[in-house]
Amino acid sequence: MINYYFQRSARAVLTIWVVITATFGMIRLLPGGPLAQLEAKLLRQGVPAGQVDAMLQTYQNVHPDKPIEVQYIDYVVALIQGDLGTSISRNKPVMTIIADALPWTIFVMVTATFLIFAIAIVWGALMAYREGGAFDLLSSGASIVLSSVPFYVLGIALIIVFGYQLELLPTGYRSTSGIDPESGLLVFILDALDHAYLPILSMVLAGVGLQALAMRGNAIQVLGADYVRVARLRGLSDRRVAVRYVARNAILPMYTGFLTLIGFNLGGSVILEEVFNYNGIGYYMFLGLDNRDYPLMMGIFLIITTALVISVYIADLTYGLIDPRITTGESNETY
Amino acid sequence: MAQTHQPDDPIATLEDVSVTYDDGTSFVLDNVSLHVERGEILGIVGESGSGKSMLASSLLDAIPDPGYLSGSITYQAEEKTIDVLELGQSELRSLRWEEISMVFQGAMSSFNPTMQIRDHFIETIEAHNGGVQAGMDRARQLLSDLYLDPDRVLESYPHELSGGMQQRALIALSLVLDPELLVMDEPTAALDLLMQQSILLLLRELQEKYQLTMIFITHDLALVGALADRLAVMYAFDIVELAPKQQLLSNPSHPYTRALLNSTPNLQAPLAEMRPIEGQSPAPINVPSGCSYNPRCPLATEECRTTDPAMDSPAPEHSVACFYWEKAQWEIELNYATDQPGGDHS
Repeated sequence: MINYYFQRSARAVLTIWVVITATFGMIRLLPGGPLAQLEAKLLRQGVPAGQVDAMLQTYQNVHPDKPIEVQYIDYVVALIQGDLGTSISRNKPVMTIIADALPWTIFVMVTATFLIFAIAIVWGALMAYREGGAFDLLSSGASIVLSSVPFYVLGIALIIVFGYQLELLPTGYRSTSGIDPESGLLVFILDALDHAYLPILSMVLAGVGLQALAMRGNAIQVLGADYVRVARLRGLSDRRVAVRYVARNAILPMYTGFLTLIGFNLGGSVILEEVFNYNGIGYYMFLGLDNRDYPLMMGIFLIITTALVISVYIADLTYGLIDPRITTGESNETY
Repeated sequence: MAQTHQPDDPIATLEDVSVTYDDGTSFVLDNVSLHVERGEILGIVGESGSGKSMLASSLLDAIPDPGYLSGSITYQAEEKTIDVLELGQSELRSLRWEEISMVFQGAMSSFNPTMQIRDHFIETIEAHNGGVQAGMDRARQLLSDLYLDPDRVLESYPHELSGGMQQRALIALSLVLDPELLVMDEPTAALDLLMQQSILLLLRELQEKYQLTMIFITHDLALVGALADRLAVMYAFDIVELAPKQQLLSNPSHPYTRALLNSTPNLQAPLAEMRPIEGQSPAPINVPSGCSYNPRCPLATEECRTTDPAMDSPAPEHSVACFYWEKAQWEIELNYATDQPGGDHS
């Protein structure tokens, strides 16, 4: 048991280390990268060569004159201290940008993922209870249609309808400029919610169908299980059978998927936030790509990967708590 | 045990009970009539797909959807007669488990995998408005009677118990509300031979201690032969022969019963004399007209093909659905010595 936790922790740390190391290598391998471009630009502008080198070193933590292993150790030490280098395009430490952007992305994505699962569980269970009926057929069809529409297409459609035509909700940005926590917490929260409705809605609409179908399948399987029949014959109330027997056993297999989906959705924020002009980490990731701002890209890439690793790690560690059958975890690793 | 029967005290009576699917086109139970004596162990034997499980489920009015159950099933409670098929939802709920209880095939899948055994007992007691304290005391007693350690078993999750332990825990669960009649549908099918035997012994002890009436359904004639007081043989969704165990084993009268016995491995019969039954048992959609066994029966005549034989009685308490049971006794030889006590058959 202890051994299992230790293994899982070690593996999580190892994964993050591999990502960090790969990032280190990639920065140095990328051809004609931003540094070369910047160097050329600065030199053309007549900045002295020594000064250019010094500037380049402060961006990126790259010190080309040092031996590679020293560079590597410096890089890792800087990362551990929270120093991800400086964004070239924004001229700010990458960590500052991420610290500002990450809470917004987490807010949108975690809320969306929670909603996806909450709705999918109820919807899927209802479909299973009415398997073969009109509700089930219509719902299954709707689920498949919804899951086949990409969330960014939905997002654009929602912006057009709710933002431009009905003018009910803002068309972008994470808050109205000028409104911040100082202008009253409630005002700020309501404003933030206003801006979050459409991104969350597009994620939920596009994501809920697939999960509802998964829940439907699980619930149908559980409904056919002997223990449900025996429970009914034992005289248990329908409500108790639905909650303790059907729901519990049907939701269990979805738990890991739920946590990993949070991680994946954080990564998927790139397109969503671009569509909604929402200044989260995905938005800055795109900005970094657009401007060949490698420190920014790499920093956000590291954060997203770490978030995914952590969510898988949490799923692994906690699955044993919710499913009594998994005590050693050997048969139910997430990845 | 046969002599301990009070012959006119049936605990359950089935009359013309049928179960149909597909709007009455396929019969999975075809006009079965049967009475169960209070305090007896009735063994019901039949091959797979002969309707045994349907018969068991019928007693609790628990036919899987969308089956349709017709006929009449009466249950004789201590002071009143209950017409099982006329009961409303809540009355049916209290009949089940409080009066008639059931152990299903496959104990492994009869417990909720995410709940401790204890919670299964508690929720059952609570669902029937019983006192939890007294009920759990009874549960502990039952588990001890079944040679389980109550504390350990109650704290366990189903997967932490072996197959035999789960089976015994399930039997305890079925008896926790002190039912009169226990219906067991292949309760030992998933267990090894040693565990089967020890469960049979335990069932016998339980039956005596708690004055239970038991219906034991199995495909394994040898197994039930050791336990039952009376045996019923099912073929093609109906009972074809019913007799006290000794009588049935020493003097089987239906051609199918005789063929079944000849196909059952036993120590007194040389392997070379074992006979499979030719042909296949019918599917529920095209049961042969007349006697359902006629296509496979060596004695079948035109009468068998057109008329369904009524129950005849070769001996007291012995009934058989065959026109030619006398001929069958002569012409279909048994491959074991009939003068041996039937109990040795196990």
